[in-house]
Amino acid sequence: MNKHLKSRMTMLVLVGWMLSTAGSAMAEEFVVGVEVPLSGSLARVGTGMSEGITVAAEVFNRKNTKHKIKLITVDDESSPAKAVAAVEKLASQGAIAIDGGYGSNNIGPASDAANKAGLVYVTSGGVDEALTQRGLKTFFRINNTAGYSKAMLGLLADMGVKSASIVYLTKEATADLAKDIEKALAAKGVKVTMHAFDPAITDFKPIINKIKLQDKPDVIVMSGYENDYVGVLRAAKVLKPDVKAIVGAWSLATSKMQDDFPDLMPNVYGTALLPFPAEFTTPDGKDFAEAYKKLYGKEPDYLGQFGYVQSQLLFDAIVRAFDAGTLKSGGIAAELRKTNKDTLIGRVQFDDKGDNLNFSHRMGQHQAKQIAIVWPKEYANGKMNFPGVPW
Amino acid sequence: MFAQRIGIYVALAIALYVLVPFAFAGNLYLMSMIIASLTIGGIALAWALLGNLGGLVSFGHAAFFGVGSYASALLVMKAGWPIGASLLAGGVCAALAAILMLPALRLRGPYFALAVLAYAHIFRIIATEWKGLTNGAGGIGNIPRFPVVFGYDFASKTGAYWIVLSLVLAFALIYWRIRDSHAGLALRAMHDSEDATRAVGVNSVLLKALMLFLSAFMTGVMGAFNAHYINFLEPDYAFSGLWTMLPIVAAIFGGYRTVLGPLIGAVVVYLADQLVFKALMPIGHQIVLGALLGTIILFAPEGMLSVFAKRPWRPDRTRVTTGLRDA
Amino acid sequence: MTELVSQALWSGILTGSSYALIALGLALIFGTMNVINLAHGELVLLAAYIAYTCESAFGFNPLFAIPAAIVIVCVATTLTYFLVNQIRKDRELNSLLLTYGIGVMLTNGMLLLWKADIRSTKSAWLQDAVVFGPFFSMRSEILFFVISLALIAGLWWWLTRTWAGRAVRAVASNRDAAKLMGIDPHRVELVSFLVAGLLAAFAGAAIFSVGVIQPGLGISLTVKAFIITVLAGMGSVPGVLVGALLLGLTESLTTTFFSSALQELAGMVLFLFVLFVLPNGLFGTRWRRAH
Repeated sequence: MNKHLKSRMTMLVLVGWMLSTAGSAMAEEFVVGVEVPLSGSLARVGTGMSEGITVAAEVFNRKNTKHKIKLITVDDESSPAKAVAAVEKLASQGAIAIDGGYGSNNIGPASDAANKAGLVYVTSGGVDEALTQRGLKTFFRINNTAGYSKAMLGLLADMGVKSASIVYLTKEATADLAKDIEKALAAKGVKVTMHAFDPAITDFKPIINKIKLQDKPDVIVMSGYENDYVGVLRAAKVLKPDVKAIVGAWSLATSKMQDDFPDLMPNVYGTALLPFPAEFTTPDGKDFAEAYKKLYGKEPDYLGQFGYVQSQLLFDAIVRAFDAGTLKSGGIAAELRKTNKDTLIGRVQFDDKGDNLNFSHRMGQHQAKQIAIVWPKEYANGKMNFPGVPW
Repeated sequence: MFAQRIGIYVALAIALYVLVPFAFAGNLYLMSMIIASLTIGGIALAWALLGNLGGLVSFGHAAFFGVGSYASALLVMKAGWPIGASLLAGGVCAALAAILMLPALRLRGPYFALAVLAYAHIFRIIATEWKGLTNGAGGIGNIPRFPVVFGYDFASKTGAYWIVLSLVLAFALIYWRIRDSHAGLALRAMHDSEDATRAVGVNSVLLKALMLFLSAFMTGVMGAFNAHYINFLEPDYAFSGLWTMLPIVAAIFGGYRTVLGPLIGAVVVYLADQLVFKALMPIGHQIVLGALLGTIILFAPEGMLSVFAKRPWRPDRTRVTTGLRDA
Repeated sequence: MTELVSQALWSGILTGSSYALIALGLALIFGTMNVINLAHGELVLLAAYIAYTCESAFGFNPLFAIPAAIVIVCVATTLTYFLVNQIRKDRELNSLLLTYGIGVMLTNGMLLLWKADIRSTKSAWLQDAVVFGPFFSMRSEILFFVISLALIAGLWWWLTRTWAGRAVRAVASNRDAAKLMGIDPHRVELVSFLVAGLLAAFAGAAIFSVGVIQPGLGISLTVKAFIITVLAGMGSVPGVLVGALLLGLTESLTTTFFSSALQELAGMVLFLFVLFVLPNGLFGTRWRRAH
């Protein structure tokens, strides 16, 4: 009898403990749900964004004595179905907004689910056109494809390019960027040839050889991910096509690529927010860099920077909505819409579709083991080495 | 005795259809997990059916799932079909896709298993490249949800749960009827010894093909259901290897040879993976699934549930061929 | 135009030789035990990650990591053999499922240990270009091309000239007869697993030096290896080389003349074509008839 009683008591205590840890949002503690890929194909970028979000919460909680941000993170496993489930789980745990998301294919369904639950969805991981065409009033993003192509096209214009070959991955985001650039270049009379490749490719030499022997362009433009860049650059280093520059998009002008593949990087261009070593001049930037270093023991990268900025804007909007008493009645979305702030990525203002009006990326170039920002002039801290290739 | 069995079935039906939604409807996340596990369960059942009655192991059921998803989504969005009919049409299209696999039927076990895998890859690539039809890598968004019928919104979690539960139970019923029928007997005999069966005059190739079509049909319907439930499709997701891997682990865990084993296995394995393993090991938690599969194959090839059941599951048939194959 | 074609052919041959390295281990086990080791791709990948660890932690050139890779991968294959041997009924299919499970475990294990980032060699020496006339390649590609030819020749010599190798072929051809001749099939099977591990270690170093690795690569390596094994036909070592070269050439020619987006499709279609039209592979029947 005693044994039964003891085991039943233990059960009750366990159940009670589980229920109590389910967590409830207190008035001054704002629960923000973070839905990011921590496993699966997008694990690396999701982790990077998650780090930036965590740093933002840390900085906010340190500076803000009245309110606290509490983050609950759920891994969406790089899958659309799990992303929806993650948003639902966060909603059921009392989140008042969703921060995060990577990959337009996951963000689409996830932000739909957030909208259904009446929650704001803020991200920097989905550049697809279609995301802001849905008429959702709760969706906000701080970057988009147009910003990337604006930067790359600006650089190409500075170079005075007359012909270009674009090598691009057949996934949606990379293919869209490639097509944007093709259209814009063709409109200016630049000769463009397109070369698509699928994710399974290992040897880029046949493609680069086609470019070297048939296209003979001024510049090679790459739209893909890190493994694609490595493959293209390796093939180019072997075949040595007669080009003046190699330009890529995201994840290329980073210190990580410099560390991992130092022989492939010299003179290569990619989109970059800040030079490396990063010089944070604004007080906001200094806060960010210090907190990041303290939490993770390394220099921040562009993923962390984006994650930080999107969260910073969200937290500010939450506080404003709370003060105005509109937290429960769509106040966060309204306050986000009124955002007009200078951040690490420049001035951010959202239009009525949720896009950041002013977003324009910057171009960096690997120069002598560092990364210098070479476009646009307002943010440049170095001149471009043109013509220049890694061999 | 008969009344007692009916009583048990009615009680089970009430528990599944009424009690489960009543208890969990508030927790959207848990309901999502249950619905996902039943989707996997449907595929697991179809996979086990192909193995038991068709004697064919497949490593590419994701092919049928993806074809069913796209077929249903496209029929509704581009041809204006109603969703109920499109679910069935998705299954039919998957069965049609299986026709392409007919030449593979004369291949021996492992070759067939991997040939189906090659088909899954091929369909995925076609879905990515045929942009005009499938919108390529961008996928199809805003796939219409389940409709409101008699005033009840079937797009809600409970509604979707009822739909998938009914589909899965219907499949189980079909499987059970076939297995206990004359055709089922012939199929199981054929699974044991193809030569003996041919000697008796049973057309083994035709029967295998029919089982392939049926398995493909069921998987395709599950794919179609998933498309309208998640409202989003893309080639990598629709043809993902997980739609092959999870049903295999589920079916083996639950009991490859039984009708309900794969279903129960799916619910247990999926919920354990998402609710327990994932919480303990946010990254790489599927390592436990691999270990589970290996352990079951080695120690309980008839499935975990046969170990737990008080009454041992009746073996479906006695093995005729031993010795030579078991060195 | 000829330059384009000749480079395409050369690239195809180089790629094919590394595919051959990857496929040999799978083909050997399949030949002797009639077991398809679906974890084979993961074992190759494991060797690649060991090469990465040696390079990043100790600064070794990936070539010097091969001995360490051999030891670790052979331990893994021995474990796999031991587990497969425990299967009592229906070995052909159950071993498929068991090795599938082992493969899933290895993939997730590698994800846990090495994270999801892409890795490849940093060695400048390996990445340098080597040019013969119109033929361009990376030094690592040439190096492993030579290594793979040497290993294939060595394997063929071992199978045909040494007693141990002949025992392997005897067991592959007729297990019971071999038993009657005094050959212990279990020893032979263990030996073939070990040799497969050795081959996988070299293959892993190759893919790390030539390309980029990440944890999800394992299953696609296994699929490629299986395709080549089927192309080759049961138990034919020269067949594996020919099949691998065929696959490599198909891929690079598809990329050059059509679109790279279709290269995976071309490989799959080739696989199905051979499966249906030549179920014994390119060399299967000839080998059988020779005995």
